[in-house]
Amino acid sequence: MIHNFDTVIVGSGGAGLYAALEASARSKTAVLSKLYPIRSHTGAAQGGISAALGNVEEDSAQWHAFDTVKGGDYLVDQQAAMILTEEAIQAVYDLENRGLPFNRTPEGRIDQRRFGGHTRNFGEGPVRRACYAADRTGHMILQTLYQQCIKNEVSFFDEFQVVDVIIEDGSCRGVVVVELATGEMHIFAAKAVLFATGGFGRIFKITSNAYANTGDGPAVCARRGIPLEDMEFYQFHPTGIMGLGILISEAVRGEGGILRNRDGERFMERYSPTLLDLAPRDIVARSILTEVRAGQGIRGDRRIDDYVHLDATHLGKEVLDAKLPDISGFCRTYLGIDPIDAPIPVLPTAHYAMGGIPTDVHGRVVIDREGTIIDGLYAAGECACVSVHGANRLGTNSLLDLIVFGRRAGQHIAEYVKDAPAPRPVADADEFARAWIDRLLDGADGPHGGAITDEMQVTMMEKVGIYRNKADMSVAVDQIQELRSRYQTVRVQDTGSRFNTDLLELIELGNLLDLSLVTAVSALHREESRGAHSREDFPERDDDTWLKHTLAYLEGDEVRLDYKAVDTSIWEPKPRTY
Amino acid sequence: MKTIDLTLKIWRQKNNDALGGFETYLLRDISTDMSFLEMLDVLNEQLTAEGKIPVAFDHDCREGICGSCGAMVNGIAHGPVKLNNLCQLHMRAFNSGDTLVIEPFRSRAFPIRKDLMVDRSALDRIIQAGGYVSVNTGGGVDGNAIPISSETAELAMDSAACVGCGACVASCPNDAAMLFTGAKITQLGLLPQGQPERKERARAMVTQMDKEGFGFCSNERECQAQCPKGISIRSIARMNRDFFRGSLFGE
Repeated sequence: MIHNFDTVIVGSGGAGLYAALEASARSKTAVLSKLYPIRSHTGAAQGGISAALGNVEEDSAQWHAFDTVKGGDYLVDQQAAMILTEEAIQAVYDLENRGLPFNRTPEGRIDQRRFGGHTRNFGEGPVRRACYAADRTGHMILQTLYQQCIKNEVSFFDEFQVVDVIIEDGSCRGVVVVELATGEMHIFAAKAVLFATGGFGRIFKITSNAYANTGDGPAVCARRGIPLEDMEFYQFHPTGIMGLGILISEAVRGEGGILRNRDGERFMERYSPTLLDLAPRDIVARSILTEVRAGQGIRGDRRIDDYVHLDATHLGKEVLDAKLPDISGFCRTYLGIDPIDAPIPVLPTAHYAMGGIPTDVHGRVVIDREGTIIDGLYAAGECACVSVHGANRLGTNSLLDLIVFGRRAGQHIAEYVKDAPAPRPVADADEFARAWIDRLLDGADGPHGGAITDEMQVTMMEKVGIYRNKADMSVAVDQIQELRSRYQTVRVQDTGSRFNTDLLELIELGNLLDLSLVTAVSALHREESRGAHSREDFPERDDDTWLKHTLAYLEGDEVRLDYKAVDTSIWEPKPRTY
Repeated sequence: MKTIDLTLKIWRQKNNDALGGFETYLLRDISTDMSFLEMLDVLNEQLTAEGKIPVAFDHDCREGICGSCGAMVNGIAHGPVKLNNLCQLHMRAFNSGDTLVIEPFRSRAFPIRKDLMVDRSALDRIIQAGGYVSVNTGGGVDGNAIPISSETAELAMDSAACVGCGACVASCPNDAAMLFTGAKITQLGLLPQGQPERKERARAMVTQMDKEGFGFCSNERECQAQCPKGISIRSIARMNRDFFRGSLFGE
């Protein structure tokens, strides 16, 4: 079936819905989601959205931008960071106007709290910058935006899985999609397409990401010649619940929670004397792993799954219940402990992709170091790389990224589609997608994908995880290649067409394998340590050689690497200490 | 590690047009540290290995936020533990030798799509009928200048905690979606931003609720008892008040 729209948004999290909200004001807009919009993973974001409102203490957008740049280990494009933090303020007010119930100060103003890496006056000390709705900030944003999109009569196509993007003569013409309910293939012809498909934490074994976070947008783009930027920078959140990876928000440390090793020592005093437990995530995650490797984890066996304690027992029942209710609930539910009585066992968990589809500050997809764009193709949110997170994202800047750049992309689309040529049907646009799906469903004898998924996730976790080195990553690249060739033999076991979850999982696995390969190759070649990319064999940051963004092109079974300059027009790169 | 053996009776149904029925499966050595969905994963691995079709069930975040999962376990929505989504239910809630009857969330308004998966888009259509703020309270800084007391914000937030799982509908003897609808109306109705459309919103959403085939409240309070987010039936009272005002006096 062929559908015609001005604008097609793929993905219904914060970025997709905000873009849809703006685009739908002036164009016929469809949102495609493999889920239902309110199930999107934006809803899981707990802690907050940062903006220099200055409601509880002095703050400025410039300080916020500086923190973002420094937090990103100077791989952030600095003008983009200024846009992010200046527009943050209006973005929060807009959400508030649309009915988002933020927590309030006693005077009735939007309350703000501390989060890792956010400082006053260029690093002097922590600042209260994160606006929040208890620890359900993402959930509230998602609900609010969904309501607004409905008001604007956006057409929602729920449970539609993207499999290909149609690009012809340097412009985007639409996407090819499978309807999960029926197994039917659809072509959505459009003047503008925006990918907002979120992250791909599912390439790792232990992750805070939902099952749906399989990087469908980046993978689809990569197969069509679009590079992926800075894929080697993947953030591990320091505090996942031991064994599960489910996140314990940084807000626990923001409210005063302390990390302790087996001796009860507050070990962050040694790693980050100024910001302590609220140092940026990459530093805290590495500090935890360093403790574990030194036998200072709680078990003390130096194994990679040993853990440390997050101690919130001194915060008191009132703070935990009022400000962190979900966290307390998580601990009771998943661990059978109460954080008032006992410390929470935590270890780092794969959390957020700094890299993704390269875009400019309007969300337009950029395909090379010269900044060439593809007309009508946009990306925003976690699947995109503007880049405002550089080598490491600060907490609460992800929700902000969705809102600010989702909105900017939507506004640009609304302008662009006014004069763009009507979408033209492309002959055989679904040929590639059909061949792929038909092979998976042809009923031939072949294994299901479960074993491949598991091997991929373990390989990526162990060899392309928090600490990396050449030997391990070379093995990882070979293993991923081997898994990709095994993928060619897999078959869907359930050949029914309706709600074929087996088919969906195999499509997702294909995407994850491609992204694993690009991530591993990009990481193998970056011979320095910067932000979340930490090389044991190259422990120092090397600005002379590596102050540049990676652009990785997936060409069949090969990954070709190119690089582009970083915008450092405001702040000179300096050593990153806290 | 403690393990238990279980008998599962699971509703299997190919699609909404097909006839469904219970199938019985035996599971051995299930760790009590597993979540309920992990237990279903184990079953599905077993079925796949035997060349059988795995049980289809909705799930995504597995941390109680996305609202995707849900099933009746021995007749109780999301199982026997209170304030839990199904993904948060752990096998320590059961004993070895237990038989678990697992069924989809049933309602006239929730067609079955496959096995334990149901179509809950009726809930989305209720929001579409008016669950939003469309009048802007003003430009920029104004928003922050409308002071809202911490208590009001808190109450609005409690209602906004709804994840749209549908447990309230499935546990109601009348198939009512009033807790869901009431929560949405309460959240917006408590905030100054939601005032201009308050009465019309209630009227439109309640009308849509009826149209979808949901039933009416007879004060059984099952919804409140089984809501994973602990939403109170006071939100139904708020909805009724706004609805009657809306229908009697109009805008």
